[in-house]
Amino acid sequence: MTRLLFHLALLAYPRSFRRRFGAEMWADLERARRGGSTSDVATTVGTLIVHGLAERWSALVRVLFWPDSQPHLYETPRRRIIMWDTFRSDVRHALRLAANAPLVTMLTVLALGLGIGATSAIATIVHGVVMSPLPYRDSDRLVMVWSDATRQGRPRNTLSPANYQDLRRMNGTLEGLEAYFSFVTPFEMVIDGPTEVAHGVTVTPGMFDLLGRAPFLGRALDVREETLEVLLSYGYWQRRFGGNPAVVGRTLQVDNNLATVVGVMPQDFTFPYGPMLGPSGFTRATSIDLWAAMHVTGPIAAANRMLTPQGEPVRSVHWLGAVGRMRPGTTVEHVQADLSTVARQLEQRYPDSNTGWGATVVPVMEQTIGTIRGPLYILLAGVFTVLLIAAANVANLVLARSIGRQKEYATRVALGAGRARLVRQTLTEGLVLASAGGVLGLLVAYAGVTVLVALAPADLPRLHDVAPGMTVVLITAGAAILTSMLVGLLPALSAARTHPQAALREHSRGAIGGAFRRRARAGLVIAEIALAVALTVAGGLLLRSFVSLLGTDPGFHSHNMLTWQMNLPDRLRSQDDRTAFYREFLDRMRSLPGVVSVGGTTRLPLGSTALSTFIEVDGSPRPEAEWPEVQFRRAIGDYFQTMGIPILAGRTFTDADGASATPVCVVNRTLASKLFPGEDPIGRRVRGSPTQPWLTIIGVIGDIRHGALDEPPLPELYVSHLQGQVVSPFMVLRTAGDATDWIALVRAEARAIDSTLPVYRIQTMESVRSESVAQRRFLLLLVGFFGALAMILAALGVYGTMSVLVSERTQEVGVRLALGASPAEVVRMLVLQAVRLAGVGALAGVALSLGTMPLLSSQLYGVQPRDPMMLTAVPAVLVLVAVLAAIVPARRAMRIDPTHALRGQ
Amino acid sequence: MDRFRPETFLPLGPVAFEILLALAEGEQHGYSIMREVERRSLGTIKVHPGSLYRALARLLESGLIEELDGRPDPEHDDERRRYYALTSRGLAVGRAEAARLEQQVDAARARRLLAPLPRSGAHGVPR
Repeated sequence: MTRLLFHLALLAYPRSFRRRFGAEMWADLERARRGGSTSDVATTVGTLIVHGLAERWSALVRVLFWPDSQPHLYETPRRRIIMWDTFRSDVRHALRLAANAPLVTMLTVLALGLGIGATSAIATIVHGVVMSPLPYRDSDRLVMVWSDATRQGRPRNTLSPANYQDLRRMNGTLEGLEAYFSFVTPFEMVIDGPTEVAHGVTVTPGMFDLLGRAPFLGRALDVREETLEVLLSYGYWQRRFGGNPAVVGRTLQVDNNLATVVGVMPQDFTFPYGPMLGPSGFTRATSIDLWAAMHVTGPIAAANRMLTPQGEPVRSVHWLGAVGRMRPGTTVEHVQADLSTVARQLEQRYPDSNTGWGATVVPVMEQTIGTIRGPLYILLAGVFTVLLIAAANVANLVLARSIGRQKEYATRVALGAGRARLVRQTLTEGLVLASAGGVLGLLVAYAGVTVLVALAPADLPRLHDVAPGMTVVLITAGAAILTSMLVGLLPALSAARTHPQAALREHSRGAIGGAFRRRARAGLVIAEIALAVALTVAGGLLLRSFVSLLGTDPGFHSHNMLTWQMNLPDRLRSQDDRTAFYREFLDRMRSLPGVVSVGGTTRLPLGSTALSTFIEVDGSPRPEAEWPEVQFRRAIGDYFQTMGIPILAGRTFTDADGASATPVCVVNRTLASKLFPGEDPIGRRVRGSPTQPWLTIIGVIGDIRHGALDEPPLPELYVSHLQGQVVSPFMVLRTAGDATDWIALVRAEARAIDSTLPVYRIQTMESVRSESVAQRRFLLLLVGFFGALAMILAALGVYGTMSVLVSERTQEVGVRLALGASPAEVVRMLVLQAVRLAGVGALAGVALSLGTMPLLSSQLYGVQPRDPMMLTAVPAVLVLVAVLAAIVPARRAMRIDPTHALRGQ
Repeated sequence: MDRFRPETFLPLGPVAFEILLALAEGEQHGYSIMREVERRSLGTIKVHPGSLYRALARLLESGLIEELDGRPDPEHDDERRRYYALTSRGLAVGRAEAARLEQQVDAARARRLLAPLPRSGAHGVPR
């Protein structure tokens, strides 16, 4: 790819220069690249092109102003400069044509500019997200290592600390393997005032070395017994510490430990990206404020539950993510085979915990952007379709213009002008239009990238790091050149077919040598309509998916509800203290004016992550490795009532289900029907491990959509917070009116209850629900916009073609009218011609959308990819649009005065 | 034929002067000239291949440098490489340009844009 770019860039230099120095420059560029040059490819290539064009054009400019001056050695020779003269006159000719029809030119340039700009904006984003390397050294050698728990439907499951350490020790294909907690932790920070929350990830200290990135200030993490070290992200350092370098070395209080700030990472460093995080964790936040060192031994490791009570690394609880660096020369397949072998050895050595657990190796890039590559390619295809339609329109226009100049061409050919000259002139016309479009397109692309990045949902990985730069310029230039070829090619072919004898024959009618042009025009219209149909079908299917997604019942009522997260103050250590705190907190919140009810949970539907556990069912003994997996939540206060989750059987928790009462739980309908099919689950008992007490099921509640609206409900098990510990809950509060009005009140009351209580991410449940579909909405908006644009452009194309057609057939229509045809018949004849074209185009469009459907199907929900309604309605609408676009010029034909038309002979 | 007059080449472009400076040490190829410039400026100045070879083309054309036929170090060599050396004319132009720059630096000192040269022995600063 880079080699290709270098080669293309060298083409900017004059030929003699390239012959003399090209090989040397090429060798130097290669050498610089191998030597680990830090400057990026886009800048190098861009500078190369700028110098090349300067070398190429400086002689031209000198000859323009000083006609006697001689070009330097290796510059473009004079003979070739004269060829530039022809080019200049062609350009002038094209500019004159453009100036003669300012409105048409303006619309043309606008259409091309929008098309080129939008395509370049999307292509820049695709390049930045999908193609540019991650901000790590030799990032193509980095792989994610997961546990393969395919038995539970999760081929990319997190690792347990003990398995991680064994994989690290026993593999033979990785240079290093470093781990991190696969979730973002809300750390409680005391910096210089009340407790606040910072989002951090705990990583093994070697992680930064493995990724190949050093801190921007200070040093990387180290493990010291007793004390914790943290590394700040650039953004947090700027935001919270005003970019003050003196923060390095400061001691802060982090989660009740004293922690030393050892450094600040560079601005472009991101780790981990959202998709590298596992399914568990407390928050969906993916922007990282700090990194804390992971301890594998000692008191901090014990507090993080890395160790069993016996002090051994934990093997049966999985929550680590791991990144490995492949040894040079190894492939992902090698590493996969190697780690699978290690995993099998571990299965044999620890059958209780490891049976059924393999290893999965995924390139880090694939992990990061694997899920959004599809939608981005859909966008790219969509926007490129718009560009194609715009180019087809302009090609049609250039073609139509050349009709009037047919005799001019013929005369010139007859007088000895080469056909090549005519072809060049037509191509130049396309180039001039595309260049003007390209200049406008560059502005559109710059603005487009900025706007798209600002509008994009926050959870799209990497997208927010894309900034318009040299890449946009290069891509826009490429798009403009491509467009000029698209625009100029057919008209150029048509010009090449000029036959002087036929054209110059006296009394020749408008359609001289026009069979080719007519076919070309018809082909362009058919292509435009086909592309517009395919794009509109895609937009329509996405729209229907989105509507059916919004219509999905999440199992709870999201309106008039407020939600927030908070961390319980650290002084509340005992279960009694916490119970007392919650009682007071809930009572005071409930007594606020307009508050209907209040509750809380450990995992908020649509707004948080998931946490699961394996349970044993009393009365159906199975080995531990075969225990069913269920989602585990705790409920606080009137959680089910506040959420509006229906109680289907039994009861929910009351204050009587306290710490000393019988342990009880509530399950959802999916769990009841999966584990107790055809039985009454009430009174049955389950437990999470042989050492835990049995939980008696006291109630069954309705299913809710937890992960996303389009994910089917999973089995869920709830335990009351009175029989467990909840320190960082999601609270929910039902209000009598629009929940937004209660935000300030709730915040103030929380502060009044306890000034050290950090309350964060306070928002309405409606916005939580809306954020959960933000990615789809973003895709839909763009594809919908492109679809509408495509339809308008296609309609314009039909209109333009029919206008030309009518003016071409003026004499024929005149004859028909003179011979007694009624004006209505004439209109019908012309409109039918448009219908035929549109019909063929619509059919081709249906075929095209069926052919490209695999690209789209992953983004559809609740609608068939071959949705008969879309595949009939959209083509019908486009044919109708085509008819309407044809009627206007056809009616003009009706008003043709036969005598006038015939005299025109 | 006219006598060769180095002054007609002044002022020399910065990249051209860097090339003459680099070649004053002995023959080099393009890449090593770039590295040499970077090393001497402690990494603050980088010459892009685009500007380097344009300057080389002009210097070759006016005969200030020449291309060598042989390869000083055929062992570790890329056969695409060509070596360049300073001609006597190039040396003369390099000297003239250096003298011109020296005058400018002197002028800058006189106007206190630059600290004056320490007199030897004064303040005990070893030179």
